[in-house]
Amino acid sequence: MFLEHVNPLQASIFSSLAVVSLLLTFVMLGSHWLQNYVYAFAVQSWLIAALSASVGYFAGYPELYVIAVLTALFRGLVLPYLLMRIIGRLNAKRELHAVLQPSSSLVLGALLVMFAFVIANHMNRQSFLAAHVVVMALTIMLSMKFLGFLMLAVRDEAVSQILGLLVLENGIFLGSQILVPGMPLLIEIVILFDLLIVVACFGMLVRFLVVHAGTTSSRQLNRLVG
Amino acid sequence: MTLSNLVLQICQVLCVLLLAPLLQGFILKAEERIQRSRGPNILQPYRDLWKLFHKQAVVPESASWIYMIAPIVAFTAMLIVPILIPVLTDRPLPQSDMGDMLGGGMVLTLGSFAIILAGLDSGNVYGGIGSSRAVMLAILAEPTLILVLVGISLLAKAMLPFVVNHLLLGSPSTYWSPAHLFLILAFFVLLLVETDRLPIHSPTHLEIYMIDEARILEYSGPLLALLKWASMMKQFILYTIFCNVFLLPWGMSQIGTPFGEFGSVVALLVKFLLVALVVIVVETVQSRLRFYRYQEPLATGFLFAVLAIVSSQLM
Repeated sequence: MFLEHVNPLQASIFSSLAVVSLLLTFVMLGSHWLQNYVYAFAVQSWLIAALSASVGYFAGYPELYVIAVLTALFRGLVLPYLLMRIIGRLNAKRELHAVLQPSSSLVLGALLVMFAFVIANHMNRQSFLAAHVVVMALTIMLSMKFLGFLMLAVRDEAVSQILGLLVLENGIFLGSQILVPGMPLLIEIVILFDLLIVVACFGMLVRFLVVHAGTTSSRQLNRLVG
Repeated sequence: MTLSNLVLQICQVLCVLLLAPLLQGFILKAEERIQRSRGPNILQPYRDLWKLFHKQAVVPESASWIYMIAPIVAFTAMLIVPILIPVLTDRPLPQSDMGDMLGGGMVLTLGSFAIILAGLDSGNVYGGIGSSRAVMLAILAEPTLILVLVGISLLAKAMLPFVVNHLLLGSPSTYWSPAHLFLILAFFVLLLVETDRLPIHSPTHLEIYMIDEARILEYSGPLLALLKWASMMKQFILYTIFCNVFLLPWGMSQIGTPFGEFGSVVALLVKFLLVALVVIVVETVQSRLRFYRYQEPLATGFLFAVLAIVSSQLM
């Protein structure tokens, strides 16, 4: 496994990139504005692209460069562009009636990170020198998944829900880049196109909701209409 | 020639005592300069203190002995803390093991506690409001402070600020580790909150949202001067901890020659200049938060502290 002989410099590059992406998830969690979510998501995707490029460079997987370019292109440019178009068409510029206040969700998120760390620590059975990189990657992957779930659960605007989904997916992608860097190229491409389709479908759904229901907030869409 | 430890320790206290108004004056001046007005002279806080010490003290009829004793307690607490922290020398002086970081934090909080009691004592409405707001902020800020102290002690495996300073000087990999960087961010949030700066505290004093000014509204004359001086010293102490223990551990006297001490005073002023400029930028671009959003910057600080502790476990 590549991580068994990672040197301190590589370990610190990987951990700083991963930690900053985790921090950007918290930007999404703590901000009121929908636009900030999209910017944070875009920067996070660029960081993940840099991460896959550096893993590809240090571990000698040339196909990871392709994945890095695709990630930067799709997750860093196309998806944010589509999301900004969706937001531009909406009349909601920010999450007003969040179930949890941003500050409470930040604190809850911090607790979830601790929970993720405990789980990752239990899962780690390796005893080699760079085991902390494995724990770090697992922790950040799990915490980004938890934070994505948290965003899905407590936000009620359609756009923030799809961003929760994307963050969740970014977390898995980030973890897989560090833990199993040799994952077949085809699977990665399939995941990327899946995401593109998810966002495109969501765009259509949002347009439909705006026209027919007048709102995209799940809070106001709780009545069954026959 | 090296100065004796006792002289060095007295120098540390005197440095905090005498330079604290200068820091306040610089911040006030620079804020005005950024807004393209002239601002007060940089020495104005000294003149204010001088003026207040020559005025008569007026004591409200409803005040008890707490009113008289609170400024002295607050001022004395701020005189004790510089003994415990590295201000000029980076080696522990003989009296500095009187208390570790938690002890220093307790003495700092004791000063604020005395002022809170004084605000409640005279029965003035504004004093009560100010005290209740200050207590709310303290409740929100305290978890972050404790977690920052826990985080830095996990890094250094010790509760003494001198050990932390040596560790950061000695190993750049610890300095640049995410755990330490998160701790810096968390402490910066605390610094803004505790030194009456903008996301929470209003820049113009004596208005309806005031917090610290409301607590001391009843005071006048020398007692007011003591309180103001104590709050400037608290700001200076927090800047010292932020610079010498967290952000910029360089440039401190190691042997204790007079020249070296002078050099570390100059270095301290340069460090404070840098930190104060960042604080001023924050103050200029930020607007004051609504009362019900006070917890947001503090929740961010708490988050940074938790992340720091988690990432210190990963190292």
